[in-house]
Amino acid sequence: MSEVFLQRIGEYASDAETKATLLREHEILVEVDQTHVKQLISKIWNDGLTRRLSTISGLDLGQNIGIVYHFWQGEDKLHIRTTVPKSTPTALSIVEIVPGAILYEMEIHDLFGVTFVGNPWVDRKLLLPDDWPADLPPPLLKTSKPTEIRKRLKLEVERK
Amino acid sequence: MSSEPTREESAGLMKYSVENLVPFGPIHPALKEPEYFKLVLEGERIVQVIPRIGYVHRGLEKAAETRPWVQNMYMFERTCGICSFVHSLCYGQAVEGLTMYEVPKRAKYIRLIIAELERIHSHLLWVGLMGHWAGFETLFMWVWRDRELVLDIVEAISGNRVHKSMNAFCGVRRDMPENMEDKIIEKMKYLAGRAQYYRGIIDTEETMLERTENIGRVSADTAEKLCAVGPMARYVGIQHDIRLNDPYAAYDEVPFSIVTRNDGDVLGLLRLRLDELIVSTELVSYAVKHLPDGPIRVKIPPIIPAGEHSAHCEAPRGEIFYYVKSTGGRTPDRVKSRQPTMANLPTALEILKGQTIADVPVVLTAIDPCFGCMDRMSFIDTETNHKWIWSGEQLRQYGINYYRKRRTKN
Repeated sequence: MSEVFLQRIGEYASDAETKATLLREHEILVEVDQTHVKQLISKIWNDGLTRRLSTISGLDLGQNIGIVYHFWQGEDKLHIRTTVPKSTPTALSIVEIVPGAILYEMEIHDLFGVTFVGNPWVDRKLLLPDDWPADLPPPLLKTSKPTEIRKRLKLEVERK
Repeated sequence: MSSEPTREESAGLMKYSVENLVPFGPIHPALKEPEYFKLVLEGERIVQVIPRIGYVHRGLEKAAETRPWVQNMYMFERTCGICSFVHSLCYGQAVEGLTMYEVPKRAKYIRLIIAELERIHSHLLWVGLMGHWAGFETLFMWVWRDRELVLDIVEAISGNRVHKSMNAFCGVRRDMPENMEDKIIEKMKYLAGRAQYYRGIIDTEETMLERTENIGRVSADTAEKLCAVGPMARYVGIQHDIRLNDPYAAYDEVPFSIVTRNDGDVLGLLRLRLDELIVSTELVSYAVKHLPDGPIRVKIPPIIPAGEHSAHCEAPRGEIFYYVKSTGGRTPDRVKSRQPTMANLPTALEILKGQTIADVPVVLTAIDPCFGCMDRMSFIDTETNHKWIWSGEQLRQYGINYYRKRRTKN
Protein backbone atom coordinates (compact mmCIF):
# COMPACT_ATOMS: atom_id res chain seq x y z
CA MET A 1 0.00 0.00 0.00
CA SER A 2 2.59 2.45 1.08
CA GLU A 3 4.85 1.78 -1.90
CA VAL A 4 2.10 2.48 -4.42
CA PHE A 5 1.15 5.59 -2.46
CA LEU A 6 4.77 6.77 -2.35
CA GLN A 7 5.24 6.09 -6.04
CA ARG A 8 2.18 8.06 -7.08
CA ILE A 9 3.05 10.92 -4.74
CA GLY A 10 6.51 10.87 -6.34
CA GLU A 11 4.98 11.23 -9.82
CA TYR A 12 2.79 14.13 -8.74
CA ALA A 13 5.72 15.78 -6.99
CA SER A 14 7.93 15.61 -10.06
CA ASP A 15 5.12 17.28 -12.03
CA ALA A 16 5.28 20.07 -9.48
CA GLU A 17 9.08 20.31 -9.89
CA THR A 18 9.93 18.87 -6.47
CA LYS A 19 10.40 15.45 -4.91
CA ALA A 20 8.86 13.38 -2.16
CA THR A 21 10.98 12.24 0.79
CA LEU A 22 10.15 9.33 3.06
CA LEU A 23 10.41 10.67 6.63
CA ARG A 24 9.87 7.28 8.24
CA GLU A 25 7.76 4.25 7.51
CA HIS A 26 4.31 5.32 6.21
CA GLU A 27 5.15 9.02 6.40
CA ILE A 28 5.96 11.18 3.37
CA LEU A 29 6.99 14.82 3.19
CA VAL A 30 6.71 16.89 0.01
CA GLU A 31 8.28 20.33 0.11
CA VAL A 32 6.77 22.35 -2.70
CA ASP A 33 6.95 25.86 -4.01
CA GLN A 34 3.98 28.13 -3.24
CA THR A 35 3.06 28.46 -6.93
CA HIS A 36 2.66 24.69 -7.34
CA VAL A 37 0.92 23.74 -4.12
CA LYS A 38 -2.63 24.25 -5.33
CA GLN A 39 -2.05 22.23 -8.47
CA LEU A 40 -0.44 19.40 -6.47
CA ILE A 41 -3.26 19.21 -3.91
CA SER A 42 -5.85 19.42 -6.67
CA LYS A 43 -4.33 16.36 -8.40
CA ILE A 44 -4.04 14.35 -5.18
CA TRP A 45 -7.59 15.19 -4.11
CA ASN A 46 -9.37 14.87 -7.44
CA ASP A 47 -7.65 11.60 -8.39
CA GLY A 48 -8.87 10.17 -5.10
CA LEU A 49 -5.37 9.34 -3.83
CA THR A 50 -6.48 10.69 -0.48
CA ARG A 51 -9.69 12.36 0.64
CA ARG A 52 -8.63 12.89 4.24
CA LEU A 53 -7.26 16.28 5.28
CA SER A 54 -6.41 16.27 8.99
CA THR A 55 -5.58 19.93 9.26
CA ILE A 56 -3.30 22.72 8.07
CA SER A 57 -0.55 23.89 10.44
CA GLY A 58 1.42 27.09 10.45
CA LEU A 59 5.10 27.20 11.40
CA ASP A 60 7.41 30.08 12.23
CA LEU A 61 10.63 29.41 10.28
CA GLY A 62 12.45 32.66 10.95
CA GLN A 63 12.33 34.61 7.66
CA ASN A 64 9.44 32.55 6.34
CA ILE A 65 6.15 31.12 7.51
CA GLY A 66 5.67 27.43 6.80
CA ILE A 67 2.25 26.04 5.89
CA VAL A 68 1.87 22.27 6.24
CA TYR A 69 -1.10 20.36 4.82
CA HIS A 70 -1.54 17.07 6.69
CA PHE A 71 -3.25 14.36 4.63
CA TRP A 72 -3.63 10.68 5.45
CA GLN A 73 -4.94 7.54 3.83
CA GLY A 74 -5.03 4.29 5.78
CA GLU A 75 -1.69 3.96 7.57
CA ASP A 76 0.04 6.43 5.27
CA LYS A 77 0.54 10.05 6.17
CA LEU A 78 1.39 12.79 3.72
CA HIS A 79 2.67 16.22 4.69
CA ILE A 80 2.80 18.87 1.99
CA ARG A 81 4.90 21.81 3.09
CA THR A 82 5.18 25.21 1.48
CA THR A 83 6.59 28.52 2.66
CA VAL A 84 5.61 32.15 2.28
CA PRO A 85 7.89 35.09 3.16
CA LYS A 86 7.01 37.02 6.33
CA SER A 87 7.27 40.31 4.44
CA THR A 88 4.43 39.37 2.05
CA PRO A 89 2.45 36.61 3.77
CA THR A 90 0.04 35.69 0.96
CA ALA A 91 -0.85 32.16 -0.05
CA LEU A 92 -3.32 30.58 -2.46
CA SER A 93 -6.45 29.13 -0.84
CA ILE A 94 -7.40 25.50 -1.46
CA VAL A 95 -11.05 25.98 -0.44
CA GLU A 96 -12.19 25.51 -4.08
CA ILE A 97 -10.68 22.03 -4.05
CA VAL A 98 -11.18 21.07 -0.40
CA PRO A 99 -14.18 23.02 0.99
CA GLY A 100 -13.50 21.64 4.48
CA ALA A 101 -10.23 23.59 4.69
CA ILE A 102 -12.03 26.91 5.14
CA LEU A 103 -11.73 27.11 8.93
CA TYR A 104 -8.14 25.85 8.98
CA GLU A 105 -7.11 28.67 6.66
CA MET A 106 -8.98 31.21 8.77
CA GLU A 107 -7.14 29.89 11.84
CA ILE A 108 -3.73 30.38 10.19
CA HIS A 109 -4.82 33.84 9.07
CA ASP A 110 -5.61 34.74 12.66
CA LEU A 111 -2.59 33.19 14.33
CA PHE A 112 0.15 33.71 11.70
CA GLY A 113 -1.19 36.57 9.62
CA VAL A 114 -1.14 34.68 6.31
CA THR A 115 -3.78 35.90 3.86
CA PHE A 116 -5.30 33.13 1.75
CA VAL A 117 -6.36 34.46 -1.63
CA GLY A 118 -9.62 32.82 -2.68
CA ASN A 119 -10.95 32.00 0.79
CA PRO A 120 -14.41 33.65 0.97
CA TRP A 121 -14.19 34.31 4.71
CA VAL A 122 -10.57 35.38 4.93
CA ASP A 123 -11.34 38.93 6.09
CA ARG A 124 -13.25 37.71 9.11
CA LYS A 125 -11.86 36.75 12.48
CA LEU A 126 -12.30 33.22 13.74
CA LEU A 127 -10.30 32.94 16.95
CA LEU A 128 -8.98 36.38 17.81
CA PRO A 129 -11.22 39.05 19.35
CA ASP A 130 -12.94 41.45 16.93
CA ASP A 131 -11.08 44.40 18.46
CA TRP A 132 -7.62 42.81 18.17
CA PRO A 133 -5.22 45.75 17.51
CA ALA A 134 -4.06 45.67 13.89
CA ASP A 135 -0.48 46.67 14.72
CA LEU A 136 0.11 43.75 17.12
CA PRO A 137 2.08 40.88 15.53
CA PRO A 138 0.07 37.67 14.97
CA PRO A 139 0.20 35.75 18.28
CA LEU A 140 1.87 32.51 17.19
CA LEU A 141 4.92 34.17 15.65
CA LYS A 142 8.05 33.72 17.78
CA THR A 143 8.47 37.50 18.01
CA SER A 144 5.11 37.85 19.71
CA LYS A 145 5.32 37.74 23.52
CA PRO A 146 2.28 36.80 25.63
CA THR A 147 3.13 39.38 28.32
CA GLU A 148 3.18 42.19 25.73
CA ILE A 149 -0.12 41.05 24.23
CA ARG A 150 -1.71 40.94 27.67
CA LYS A 151 -0.41 44.41 28.54
CA ARG A 152 -1.60 45.89 25.25
CA LEU A 153 -5.07 44.34 25.42
CA LYS A 154 -5.46 45.64 28.97
CA LEU A 155 -4.60 49.13 27.73
CA GLU A 156 -7.19 48.80 24.95
CA VAL A 157 -9.88 47.84 27.47
CA GLU A 158 -8.98 50.82 29.68
CA ARG A 159 -9.06 53.16 26.69
CA LYS A 160 -12.69 52.23 26.14
CA MET B 1 -20.39 57.63 14.77
CA SER B 2 -17.06 56.10 13.91
CA SER B 3 -16.16 55.44 10.31
CA GLU B 4 -15.12 51.86 11.08
CA PRO B 5 -17.32 49.25 9.43
CA THR B 6 -19.77 47.44 11.66
CA ARG B 7 -19.41 43.70 12.22
CA GLU B 8 -22.24 42.99 9.80
CA GLU B 9 -20.60 45.11 7.13
CA SER B 10 -17.18 43.56 7.52
CA ALA B 11 -18.67 40.08 7.49
CA GLY B 12 -20.39 40.81 4.19
CA LEU B 13 -23.81 40.34 5.73
CA MET B 14 -25.35 43.61 4.54
CA LYS B 15 -26.76 41.95 1.46
CA TYR B 16 -29.12 40.00 3.71
CA SER B 17 -31.04 43.17 4.52
CA VAL B 18 -34.48 41.65 3.84
CA GLU B 19 -34.10 38.41 5.69
CA ASN B 20 -33.85 38.02 9.41
CA LEU B 21 -30.44 37.90 10.96
CA VAL B 22 -30.20 35.89 14.15
CA PRO B 23 -27.10 36.25 16.30
CA PHE B 24 -26.79 32.92 18.06
CA GLY B 25 -24.69 32.93 21.21
CA PRO B 26 -21.97 33.66 22.13
CA ILE B 27 -21.53 32.32 25.58
CA HIS B 28 -22.62 31.01 28.84
CA PRO B 29 -19.54 29.19 30.03
CA ALA B 30 -21.47 26.77 32.20
CA LEU B 31 -21.42 24.01 29.60
CA LYS B 32 -18.60 22.80 27.34
CA GLU B 33 -17.08 25.22 24.86
CA PRO B 34 -19.00 28.31 23.80
CA GLU B 35 -19.43 29.09 20.13
CA TYR B 36 -21.41 31.73 18.33
CA PHE B 37 -23.48 31.33 15.20
CA LYS B 38 -25.07 34.03 13.14
CA LEU B 39 -28.18 32.61 11.52
CA VAL B 40 -29.65 34.24 8.43
CA LEU B 41 -33.33 33.38 8.06
CA GLU B 42 -35.99 33.42 5.42
CA GLY B 43 -39.14 33.16 7.49
CA GLU B 44 -38.56 30.04 9.58
CA ARG B 45 -35.88 28.51 7.34
CA ILE B 46 -32.17 29.03 7.82
CA VAL B 47 -30.37 30.06 4.62
CA GLN B 48 -26.86 30.81 5.88
CA VAL B 49 -24.87 30.16 9.04
CA ILE B 50 -21.68 32.00 9.97
CA PRO B 51 -19.57 30.68 12.85
CA ARG B 52 -17.48 32.64 15.28
CA ILE B 53 -15.43 30.58 17.70
CA GLY B 54 -12.51 31.36 19.98
CA TYR B 55 -14.34 32.72 23.02
CA VAL B 56 -12.40 30.39 25.27
CA HIS B 57 -9.26 30.22 23.14
CA ARG B 58 -6.56 30.09 25.82
CA GLY B 59 -3.52 30.00 23.54
CA LEU B 60 -2.43 26.48 24.57
CA GLU B 61 -0.26 26.12 21.45
CA LYS B 62 1.66 29.26 22.39
CA ALA B 63 1.85 28.21 26.03
CA ALA B 64 3.25 24.80 25.02
CA GLU B 65 6.32 26.47 23.49
CA THR B 66 7.48 27.68 26.90
CA ARG B 67 6.77 24.54 28.93
CA PRO B 68 8.73 21.28 29.28
CA TRP B 69 7.63 18.35 27.13
CA VAL B 70 6.13 16.36 29.97
CA GLN B 71 4.25 19.29 31.48
CA ASN B 72 2.55 19.87 28.13
CA MET B 73 1.06 16.39 28.27
CA TYR B 74 -1.01 17.30 31.31
CA MET B 75 -1.77 20.76 29.97
CA PHE B 76 -3.19 19.38 26.72
CA GLU B 77 -5.24 16.93 28.75
CA ARG B 78 -7.09 19.99 30.04
CA THR B 79 -8.21 20.94 26.52
CA CYS B 80 -11.49 19.13 27.03
CA GLY B 81 -13.48 18.22 30.10
CA ILE B 82 -15.06 15.17 28.50
CA CYS B 83 -12.55 13.46 26.24
CA SER B 84 -9.48 14.49 28.22
CA PHE B 85 -7.49 11.24 28.08
CA VAL B 86 -7.36 11.00 24.31
CA HIS B 87 -5.67 14.41 24.07
CA SER B 88 -2.75 13.35 26.25
CA LEU B 89 -2.66 9.99 24.42
CA CYS B 90 -2.42 11.66 21.02
CA TYR B 91 0.17 14.23 22.12
CA GLY B 92 2.09 11.42 23.82
CA GLN B 93 2.11 9.32 20.66
CA ALA B 94 3.29 12.26 18.58
CA VAL B 95 6.24 12.79 20.96
CA GLU B 96 6.98 9.07 21.38
CA GLY B 97 7.43 8.88 17.61
CA LEU B 98 10.47 11.15 17.95
CA THR B 99 12.15 8.94 20.56
CA MET B 100 13.59 5.45 20.16
CA TYR B 101 11.58 3.89 22.97
CA GLU B 102 8.75 1.36 22.67
CA VAL B 103 5.57 1.50 24.72
CA PRO B 104 5.17 -1.69 26.86
CA LYS B 105 2.33 -3.97 25.85
CA ARG B 106 0.52 -3.75 29.17
CA ALA B 107 0.50 0.03 28.96
CA LYS B 108 -1.01 -0.16 25.48
CA TYR B 109 -3.88 -2.25 26.82
CA ILE B 110 -4.46 0.08 29.78
CA ARG B 111 -4.54 3.02 27.35
CA LEU B 112 -7.15 1.22 25.29
CA ILE B 113 -9.29 0.47 28.35
CA ILE B 114 -9.28 4.10 29.52
CA ALA B 115 -9.89 5.44 26.00
CA GLU B 116 -12.89 3.15 25.55
CA LEU B 117 -14.32 3.94 28.99
CA GLU B 118 -14.05 7.59 28.01
CA ARG B 119 -15.92 6.91 24.78
CA ILE B 120 -18.72 5.17 26.70
CA HIS B 121 -18.99 8.08 29.11
CA SER B 122 -18.94 10.67 26.32
CA HIS B 123 -21.56 8.88 24.21
CA LEU B 124 -23.84 8.39 27.22
CA LEU B 125 -23.53 12.08 28.05
CA TRP B 126 -24.46 12.94 24.48
CA VAL B 127 -27.49 10.62 24.31
CA GLY B 128 -28.77 12.18 27.54
CA LEU B 129 -28.39 15.68 26.19
CA MET B 130 -30.17 14.74 22.97
CA GLY B 131 -33.07 13.61 25.13
CA HIS B 132 -32.97 16.91 27.02
CA TRP B 133 -33.01 19.11 23.92
CA ALA B 134 -35.72 17.05 22.25
CA GLY B 135 -37.94 17.41 25.33
CA PHE B 136 -37.56 13.80 26.53
CA GLU B 137 -36.33 14.46 30.06
CA THR B 138 -36.77 10.87 31.29
CA LEU B 139 -34.15 9.61 28.86
CA PHE B 140 -31.74 12.26 30.15
CA MET B 141 -32.22 11.13 33.76
CA TRP B 142 -31.81 7.44 32.95
CA VAL B 143 -28.74 7.83 30.78
CA TRP B 144 -26.91 10.15 33.13
CA ARG B 145 -27.54 7.72 36.00
CA ASP B 146 -25.90 4.96 33.94
CA ARG B 147 -23.01 7.26 33.11
CA GLU B 148 -22.12 7.32 36.81
CA LEU B 149 -21.18 3.61 36.58
CA VAL B 150 -18.48 4.39 34.01
CA LEU B 151 -17.20 7.33 36.00
CA ASP B 152 -16.96 5.11 39.08
CA ILE B 153 -14.79 2.62 37.17
CA VAL B 154 -12.60 5.42 35.83
CA GLU B 155 -12.24 6.81 39.35
CA ALA B 156 -11.28 3.38 40.73
CA ILE B 157 -8.58 3.01 38.07
CA SER B 158 -7.14 6.51 37.88
CA GLY B 159 -8.30 8.28 41.03
CA ASN B 160 -10.20 10.93 39.08
CA ARG B 161 -13.51 11.10 37.29
CA VAL B 162 -12.61 13.37 34.37
CA HIS B 163 -8.96 14.44 34.21
CA LYS B 164 -7.38 11.05 34.62
CA SER B 165 -3.72 12.08 34.13
CA MET B 166 -3.02 8.40 33.42
CA ASN B 167 -0.58 8.90 30.55
CA ALA B 168 3.15 9.29 30.66
CA PHE B 169 5.64 9.21 27.78
CA CYS B 170 6.05 5.55 26.74
CA GLY B 171 3.62 4.16 29.28
CA VAL B 172 0.98 4.93 31.87
CA ARG B 173 1.41 6.25 35.39
CA ARG B 174 -0.83 3.81 37.25
CA ASP B 175 -1.40 0.10 36.95
CA MET B 176 -4.89 -1.42 36.89
CA PRO B 177 -6.15 -2.06 40.43
CA GLU B 178 -6.27 -5.70 41.52
CA ASN B 179 -9.51 -7.70 41.64
CA MET B 180 -11.36 -5.22 39.42
CA GLU B 181 -11.72 -7.56 36.46
CA ASP B 182 -15.02 -9.22 37.36
CA LYS B 183 -16.54 -5.97 38.53
CA ILE B 184 -15.69 -4.16 35.28
CA ILE B 185 -16.97 -7.00 33.09
CA GLU B 186 -20.21 -7.18 35.06
CA LYS B 187 -20.79 -3.43 34.74
CA MET B 188 -19.96 -3.50 31.04
CA LYS B 189 -22.56 -6.22 30.52
CA TYR B 190 -25.12 -4.15 32.36
CA LEU B 191 -24.29 -1.05 30.28
CA ALA B 192 -24.52 -2.99 27.02
CA GLY B 193 -27.97 -4.14 28.11
CA ARG B 194 -28.99 -0.59 28.91
CA ALA B 195 -27.71 0.66 25.53
CA GLN B 196 -29.77 -2.05 23.83
CA TYR B 197 -32.81 -0.89 25.81
CA TYR B 198 -32.31 2.79 24.83
CA ARG B 199 -31.89 1.67 21.24
CA GLY B 200 -35.38 0.12 21.44
CA ILE B 201 -36.81 3.29 22.98
CA ILE B 202 -35.35 5.51 20.27
CA ASP B 203 -36.77 3.32 17.52
CA THR B 204 -40.30 3.38 18.95
CA GLU B 205 -40.74 6.53 21.06
CA GLU B 206 -42.63 9.13 19.08
CA THR B 207 -41.12 12.19 20.78
CA MET B 208 -37.67 11.16 19.63
CA LEU B 209 -38.70 9.97 16.18
CA GLU B 210 -40.52 13.20 15.43
CA ARG B 211 -37.61 15.39 16.44
CA THR B 212 -34.83 13.35 14.82
CA GLU B 213 -36.10 11.44 11.80
CA ASN B 214 -35.22 13.03 8.45
CA ILE B 215 -33.61 15.98 10.22
CA GLY B 216 -30.03 17.00 9.56
CA ARG B 217 -29.54 15.23 6.25
CA VAL B 218 -26.25 15.36 4.40
CA SER B 219 -24.85 13.31 1.52
CA ALA B 220 -21.71 11.18 1.83
CA ASP B 221 -19.98 13.18 -0.89
CA THR B 222 -20.61 16.50 0.85
CA ALA B 223 -19.48 15.14 4.21
CA GLU B 224 -16.27 13.85 2.66
CA LYS B 225 -15.55 17.15 0.90
CA LEU B 226 -16.17 19.07 4.10
CA CYS B 227 -13.69 16.80 5.92
CA ALA B 228 -16.19 15.40 8.43
CA VAL B 229 -14.66 13.06 11.00
CA GLY B 230 -15.83 10.37 13.41
CA PRO B 231 -19.55 9.68 13.87
CA MET B 232 -20.37 12.57 11.51
CA ALA B 233 -18.63 10.67 8.70
CA ARG B 234 -19.73 7.20 9.75
CA TYR B 235 -23.45 8.05 9.80
CA VAL B 236 -23.39 8.64 6.05
CA GLY B 237 -21.45 5.45 5.38
CA ILE B 238 -17.83 6.68 5.22
CA GLN B 239 -15.35 4.24 6.81
CA HIS B 240 -13.62 6.88 8.91
CA ASP B 241 -12.33 5.46 12.19
CA ILE B 242 -8.67 5.85 13.13
CA ARG B 243 -8.91 2.83 15.42
CA LEU B 244 -9.38 0.69 12.33
CA ASN B 245 -7.71 2.77 9.59
CA ASP B 246 -4.46 3.41 11.42
CA PRO B 247 -4.45 1.35 14.64
CA TYR B 248 -2.69 2.76 17.69
CA ALA B 249 -2.42 1.55 21.33
CA ALA B 250 -3.61 -2.08 21.32
CA TYR B 251 -6.32 -1.71 18.68
CA ASP B 252 -4.45 -3.93 16.24
CA GLU B 253 -4.53 -6.82 18.74
CA VAL B 254 -8.16 -6.78 19.86
CA PRO B 255 -11.07 -7.95 17.72
CA PHE B 256 -13.68 -5.28 16.99
CA SER B 257 -15.68 -3.83 14.14
CA ILE B 258 -16.63 -0.23 13.55
CA VAL B 259 -20.24 0.82 13.06
CA THR B 260 -21.30 2.67 9.92
CA ARG B 261 -24.83 3.54 8.90
CA ASN B 262 -26.47 4.93 5.81
CA ASP B 263 -29.52 6.75 7.16
CA GLY B 264 -27.73 10.10 7.35
CA ASP B 265 -30.08 11.89 9.75
CA VAL B 266 -30.03 12.72 13.45
CA LEU B 267 -31.88 9.50 14.26
CA GLY B 268 -29.10 7.61 12.47
CA LEU B 269 -26.54 9.38 14.65
CA LEU B 270 -28.41 8.29 17.78
CA ARG B 271 -28.50 4.68 16.61
CA LEU B 272 -24.85 4.83 15.56
CA ARG B 273 -23.58 6.19 18.86
CA LEU B 274 -25.58 3.64 20.88
CA ASP B 275 -24.27 0.79 18.69
CA GLU B 276 -20.74 2.12 19.12
CA LEU B 277 -21.28 2.16 22.84
CA ILE B 278 -22.05 -1.56 22.79
CA VAL B 279 -18.88 -2.23 20.77
CA SER B 280 -16.89 -0.22 23.31
CA THR B 281 -18.25 -2.24 26.25
CA GLU B 282 -17.16 -5.44 24.47
CA LEU B 283 -13.74 -3.94 23.80
CA VAL B 284 -13.25 -3.05 27.47
CA SER B 285 -14.34 -6.53 28.62
CA TYR B 286 -11.98 -8.19 26.14
CA ALA B 287 -9.02 -5.98 27.05
CA VAL B 288 -9.56 -6.48 30.79
CA LYS B 289 -9.68 -10.27 30.33
CA HIS B 290 -6.60 -10.39 28.09
CA LEU B 291 -4.49 -7.81 29.90
CA PRO B 292 -0.85 -8.90 29.42
CA ASP B 293 1.69 -8.93 32.25
CA GLY B 294 4.80 -6.82 32.30
CA PRO B 295 6.01 -3.31 32.98
CA ILE B 296 3.66 -0.36 32.49
CA ARG B 297 6.21 2.30 31.69
CA VAL B 298 9.63 3.02 30.22
CA LYS B 299 11.40 6.07 31.61
CA ILE B 300 12.67 8.41 28.92
CA PRO B 301 15.04 11.40 29.18
CA PRO B 302 13.43 14.86 29.38
CA ILE B 303 15.10 16.05 26.15
CA ILE B 304 13.35 14.93 22.98
CA PRO B 305 15.51 14.54 19.82
CA ALA B 306 15.05 17.06 17.02
CA GLY B 307 12.50 16.25 14.36
CA GLU B 308 8.86 16.47 13.38
CA HIS B 309 6.10 13.98 13.99
CA SER B 310 2.35 13.83 13.88
CA ALA B 311 -0.19 11.47 15.38
CA HIS B 312 -3.92 11.02 15.19
CA CYS B 313 -6.36 9.15 17.42
CA GLU B 314 -10.06 8.44 17.47
CA ALA B 315 -11.68 10.60 20.14
CA PRO B 316 -15.37 10.04 20.97
CA ARG B 317 -16.20 12.87 18.52
CA GLY B 318 -13.84 11.83 15.74
CA GLU B 319 -10.28 12.20 14.61
CA ILE B 320 -8.00 14.21 16.85
CA PHE B 321 -4.66 15.37 15.48
CA TYR B 322 -1.38 16.50 17.03
CA TYR B 323 1.74 17.69 15.24
CA VAL B 324 4.96 18.34 17.18
CA LYS B 325 8.24 19.88 16.09
CA SER B 326 11.35 19.58 18.23
CA THR B 327 14.69 21.32 17.91
CA GLY B 328 16.26 19.02 20.49
CA GLY B 329 15.55 21.19 23.50
CA ARG B 330 13.64 20.88 26.73
CA THR B 331 10.57 22.55 25.25
CA PRO B 332 8.77 21.96 21.94
CA ASP B 333 9.36 24.34 19.04
CA ARG B 334 5.77 23.99 17.89
CA VAL B 335 2.73 21.94 18.89
CA LYS B 336 -0.37 21.96 16.74
CA SER B 337 -3.56 20.39 17.98
CA ARG B 338 -6.78 19.99 16.04
CA GLN B 339 -9.98 18.92 17.76
CA PRO B 340 -12.80 16.98 16.09
CA THR B 341 -15.42 19.72 16.56
CA MET B 342 -13.29 22.08 14.45
CA ALA B 343 -13.28 19.49 11.66
CA ASN B 344 -17.01 18.83 11.96
CA LEU B 345 -18.08 22.47 12.06
CA PRO B 346 -18.24 23.02 8.25
CA THR B 347 -20.48 19.94 7.96
CA ALA B 348 -22.71 21.18 10.79
CA LEU B 349 -23.12 24.55 9.07
CA GLU B 350 -24.10 22.78 5.87
CA ILE B 351 -26.65 20.61 7.71
CA LEU B 352 -28.24 23.64 9.40
CA LYS B 353 -29.10 25.20 6.05
CA GLY B 354 -32.74 24.50 5.27
CA GLN B 355 -33.69 23.59 8.83
CA THR B 356 -36.16 25.57 10.95
CA ILE B 357 -35.34 27.48 14.15
CA ALA B 358 -37.12 24.76 16.10
CA ASP B 359 -34.59 22.18 14.89
CA VAL B 360 -31.49 24.23 15.75
CA PRO B 361 -30.94 22.80 19.26
CA VAL B 362 -31.29 19.20 18.11
CA VAL B 363 -29.15 19.57 14.99
CA LEU B 364 -26.40 21.45 16.80
CA THR B 365 -26.41 18.91 19.61
CA ALA B 366 -26.21 16.14 17.03
CA ILE B 367 -22.63 16.96 16.07
CA ASP B 368 -21.78 16.80 19.79
CA PRO B 369 -20.37 20.31 20.16
CA CYS B 370 -21.30 22.75 22.90
CA PHE B 371 -24.52 24.10 24.25
CA GLY B 372 -23.15 27.04 26.17
CA CYS B 373 -23.75 29.10 23.06
CA MET B 374 -27.47 28.61 23.31
CA ASP B 375 -27.87 31.00 26.18
CA ARG B 376 -28.28 34.73 25.59
CA MET B 377 -29.53 34.60 22.07
CA SER B 378 -30.99 37.68 20.49
CA PHE B 379 -33.26 37.76 17.44
CA ILE B 380 -33.41 40.72 15.15
CA ASP B 381 -36.09 41.23 12.55
CA THR B 382 -34.37 43.53 10.08
CA GLU B 383 -37.64 44.43 8.36
CA THR B 384 -39.35 45.98 11.35
CA ASN B 385 -36.17 46.46 13.40
CA HIS B 386 -37.92 44.52 16.15
CA LYS B 387 -35.52 42.91 18.62
CA TRP B 388 -36.12 40.24 21.17
CA ILE B 389 -33.96 37.99 23.30
CA TRP B 390 -34.32 34.29 24.01
CA SER B 391 -32.34 32.21 26.42
CA GLY B 392 -31.31 28.66 25.55
CA GLU B 393 -34.18 27.35 27.68
CA GLN B 394 -36.70 29.49 25.77
CA LEU B 395 -35.34 28.18 22.48
CA ARG B 396 -35.73 24.62 23.79
CA GLN B 397 -39.33 25.34 24.80
CA TYR B 398 -39.99 26.94 21.41
CA GLY B 399 -38.81 23.76 19.70
CA ILE B 400 -40.92 21.52 21.91
CA ASN B 401 -44.05 23.69 21.50
CA TYR B 402 -43.53 23.95 17.73
CA TYR B 403 -43.67 20.19 17.41
CA ARG B 404 -46.52 19.86 19.92
CA LYS B 405 -48.65 22.30 17.89
CA ARG B 406 -47.82 20.49 14.70
CA ARG B 407 -48.85 17.21 16.29
CA THR B 408 -52.25 18.50 17.46
CA LYS B 409 -52.89 20.07 14.05
CA ASN B 410 -52.43 16.70 12.38
